Amino acid sequence: MRMTKIYEGAYQWIMLGRDVHKPEKIIDTNQYMVRTANRCLLIDPGGIELFAPMLAAVLHHAPVEEITDLFASHQDPDIISSLGLWDQALPNAKLHAAALWEGFLRHFGCETIEYVPIPDHGGVINLGAIELQIIPAHYLHASANFHVYDPHAKILMSGDVGAALEAPGMPVFVENFDMHIEKMRYFHQRWMPSNQAKRAWIDRVRKLDIDILAPQHGRMFKGDDVKRFLDWFEALQVGIAV
Amino acid sequence: MQVNQAKSQFVAVASIAAELSAVMEVAKEISLAAANAKAIAFRAGEKAKGFQPITDFINELAKDTIELVNNINEYAFHLYRLTVNEQRMTEACKRFEKVEQLAAGARYADSLTTSLQEVRLRTQLCHREFILQVSELLIKLADVMHPARAARVIAANSRIEASQAGEYLQSLQAVAESVDNAAQIINDKVHKCRSALTIINVAE
Repeated sequence: MRMTKIYEGAYQWIMLGRDVHKPEKIIDTNQYMVRTANRCLLIDPGGIELFAPMLAAVLHHAPVEEITDLFASHQDPDIISSLGLWDQALPNAKLHAAALWEGFLRHFGCETIEYVPIPDHGGVINLGAIELQIIPAHYLHASANFHVYDPHAKILMSGDVGAALEAPGMPVFVENFDMHIEKMRYFHQRWMPSNQAKRAWIDRVRKLDIDILAPQHGRMFKGDDVKRFLDWFEALQVGIAV
Repeated sequence: MQVNQAKSQFVAVASIAAELSAVMEVAKEISLAAANAKAIAFRAGEKAKGFQPITDFINELAKDTIELVNNINEYAFHLYRLTVNEQRMTEACKRFEKVEQLAAGARYADSLTTSLQEVRLRTQLCHREFILQVSELLIKLADVMHPARAARVIAANSRIEASQAGEYLQSLQAVAESVDNAAQIINDKVHKCRSALTIINVAE
């Protein structure tokens, strides 16, 4: 699995993805790791099929006992169906996920890991050295949905917002925004159900200082492309299936 | 736990739950037949005097069966939970071994060793408990056969007593038939449960 460091300071942000061994028919995903001196947070750690390459990659950076926090933006299988395996592997970890999804996510197996329910208005993940904000993104696309914002590194992990479905092996950052638009359009129009929810999210996110917008599928946006994306998304009509 | 073994274990446990549910329904039918018989025997008065105590026996047998089946259902549910846990842990072992292979040379590769050992141990313990529970369930299933056998004897006695009941003969014979059939069905269902259990490969 490819590992790309996207922030390096007193702690690190690492993007994990583009796994060449990924089974062909499952959707490609980006996982993110925030590594401090003695803690490790895995953001949307992935589906069950991805567990082995994902943990193998993480072990280059952290031992299992220091993987203390998992975050699931929502309940989809490509986000967190590996939960039952993390539950067996991690001796002292918490899962931060929507309160609304608790009864659903526990179907994946969650006996050792402590479930930390996130209320609708969001919350924080305190990793000791750094405190990350949990930003509400409800109905984008799941009914309870959250993103993670790091005000220090200026990174917003934006779940399915900003996602694009592309052929395997695509670059990790958007290189030409205009050419990237068609790779995202249908995904956002079809998967995002509510223009109202979209506007509420854009209003909230525009107030954040963001250097990198990091979605769960496809390429990340950096610099001016973040604003370009927000402008494009704001103008897009979503919920087209009805 | 191999894939085929896991499948047969799930199927066996599900079959047991289905058969037990059918046994429960039949036991309730016996209970209803007992109430019906009691009413007929009451109306028949002296002509069915010998039948009256039999109705109480029938009712007791139905109650015993229902209680035993309730108890067995808990075992069956526990077996199901054990099967799910064992399957999950087996899957975890398999995936952890894959991690070990992929993480060869990683700085913290060794940190997974303890988790892998613990999952292997828990899998073994789970399997042992499963085997133990299967043995206990087989004993409990044998217990259900006792009231079913007794019900057949009572049905035979009921036929004899019914023959003395004059115009109530047909009604009381119908009750005896109903009890006999129900007992036979319970017997068959319990046999199916036992067969389902024995096809599970419980060899360690």
